[in-house]
Amino acid sequence: MFLGIDIGSSSSKAVIINAQLKILGKAVFNTGAGTQGPEKAVGAAFREAGISGEKIKFSVVTGYGRMTYDKADKQITEITCHARGAAHMIPSARTVIDIGGQDAKVIRLDKDGKVENFVMNEKCAAGTGRFLEVMARILDCSIGNLSSLSENASEEIIISNTCTVFAESEVISQLSSGAKRENVAQGAHKAVAKRVAGLGSRIGLAPDVVMTGGVALNKGVVAALEKETGQKITVVENPQIIGAIGAALYAWETASKLS
Amino acid sequence: MNRIEKIISALEETANHPAKAVKASMKETGKKAVGCFPYYTPDEIIYAAGLLPVGLWGGQTDIKLADKYLQSFCCSIMRINVEQGMKGMYDFLSAVIIPAYCDTLKCICDNWHVAVPQTYLIPMVYPQHRKIAAGVAYLIDEYKRVQKELETIAGKKITEKDLEDSIALYEDYRETMRHFTAIVSRYSKTLNAKTRHLIIKAAYFMDKRLYAIKIKELMEELKRLPEEKLDGIKVVVTGILAETDALLDAFVQNKIVFVADDLAHESRQFRTSVRSEGTALERLAYRIADHDGCSLLYDEEKKHGQLLIDLVRENHADGVVVCMMKFCNPEEFDYPIYKKELEVAGIPMLYLEIEQKMDSAEQIRTRIQSFAEMIK
Ligand code: SF4
Repeated sequence: MFLGIDIGSSSSKAVIINAQLKILGKAVFNTGAGTQGPEKAVGAAFREAGISGEKIKFSVVTGYGRMTYDKADKQITEITCHARGAAHMIPSARTVIDIGGQDAKVIRLDKDGKVENFVMNEKCAAGTGRFLEVMARILDCSIGNLSSLSENASEEIIISNTCTVFAESEVISQLSSGAKRENVAQGAHKAVAKRVAGLGSRIGLAPDVVMTGGVALNKGVVAALEKETGQKITVVENPQIIGAIGAALYAWETASKLS
Repeated sequence: MNRIEKIISALEETANHPAKAVKASMKETGKKAVGCFPYYTPDEIIYAAGLLPVGLWGGQTDIKLADKYLQSFCCSIMRINVEQGMKGMYDFLSAVIIPAYCDTLKCICDNWHVAVPQTYLIPMVYPQHRKIAAGVAYLIDEYKRVQKELETIAGKKITEKDLEDSIALYEDYRETMRHFTAIVSRYSKTLNAKTRHLIIKAAYFMDKRLYAIKIKELMEELKRLPEEKLDGIKVVVTGILAETDALLDAFVQNKIVFVADDLAHESRQFRTSVRSEGTALERLAYRIADHDGCSLLYDEEKKHGQLLIDLVRENHADGVVVCMMKFCNPEEFDYPIYKKELEVAGIPMLYLEIEQKMDSAEQIRTRIQSFAEMIK
């Protein structure tokens, strides 16, 4: 059995696969690096798979918190792992867009699913999950409901500040001058999509474009991204655990090479 | 510690503690020191005057005072240089030479008299059309003006012989450095990315004659060693400079070896020789005219991309790492042109935006590691 752990800035994921690459256990916890999240995710994945730790032949950790997690056999970056996971799930994928809690990446894959090139957002939170979290808080809705709120938008609103801090005050003043919450929610999705599309244009988006990461669960962002990029975007099943699946696949591959 | 370790650790110590090293060099040689802002200051003239040229390429100082003169969208090297000047850290220098290559440097030339009145400024303007006769003649005139200023500081006349001797010494230094950078791939563990950088950097704070002796000694000692097997990734690095420690550590951790560089702080300083004919100042001016592939020197033919491609091919490198100094206009304007050429040539490239003081290197570390994983 092989374990992949993905420790992000705002969530921890774990996946267990067998030698036939079948997923036996998976778990997501909404607390990330520096918390009990990773342990909890690993524990829950073990329970779902119905196995104990000794059964694991090899483990790989990925994500922002990978450097400080010392229980895995190897660490690999989230860029490599997301690419691997996405290519495994959708072999025709040539571009992977991964929007996580605090960063966004666009990864180009070659025909064998290997990373060919990648870009990552700069340090700020623009175009990431954090931006949406801040917007959801101002709109007084849960992050999970932001997408359905935006479905009822009637008018286009532009959030012109890319900086999350400035965008926050921009949105507050829009709301106080009567803008509808639904419209603002849609504006927030568009703002993220614009940033990520800009990032993607630096390396080009080749079809099929696949989206991974927690933000892929937000249909509003996916639709806005399709509009901005003019490309069809496929959301992979269980987008949050793709990094962990990639890590588990590397664990399997490394163990096979060693034996 | 063996002989190699001793030489390397002394050079690393020099590079890591510039002020201390410069003061020691001044004491050792009995010379006054002149600060040289980037890029291509006429160090040969300074040396010929019996003065010690010292490189001023920023540092790790926190920025507080410099905000008065340079906005936060100016490059970190220059914000730190102005900060260090304002804090009095350059007070032991007899003067600074600031060449006005970009808007930021021009702005510093304007502000220096007020911001750092205690440190004498010799401004310089390099010709845009450096290859035509008028450009060369203009540059020679600039050199003559600077020469006069330096003569006043040194209290002595600089003869043609002084200049020729100084040029010979600098040519020897440049040739030595070209040899040094060429052997890195044979000793990729001893001369890892960080050590290589610090060794090259030490030159800015030492008398070039003594520095060249040290590098030759180091190369002699290295030759006695068996070659080290290179089991990592070979890259050509380009940009203004490749710092901080965290950045260089990430390269070392991921076994990325700098088999060649095109950094303004490193090889761009020594890859072009002076011509053998002409007066001393003509020879210096033609070195600027002949130097290509640098974003700071206007190049109609845009040869930078081909230069990088050649460096990759000659050194069998796996890719190019771009260390883009944040807010550096000349380098940013140059980038899209060579990026396209590298893409057409099928050369993998890693783009890193860097600042001299980075609070968190986490993202950069992830990018470097991902690049290494991609190449493997
Ligand atoms: S050339 Fe670039 S790095 Fe150098 S001083 Fe100008 S802006 Fe700064």
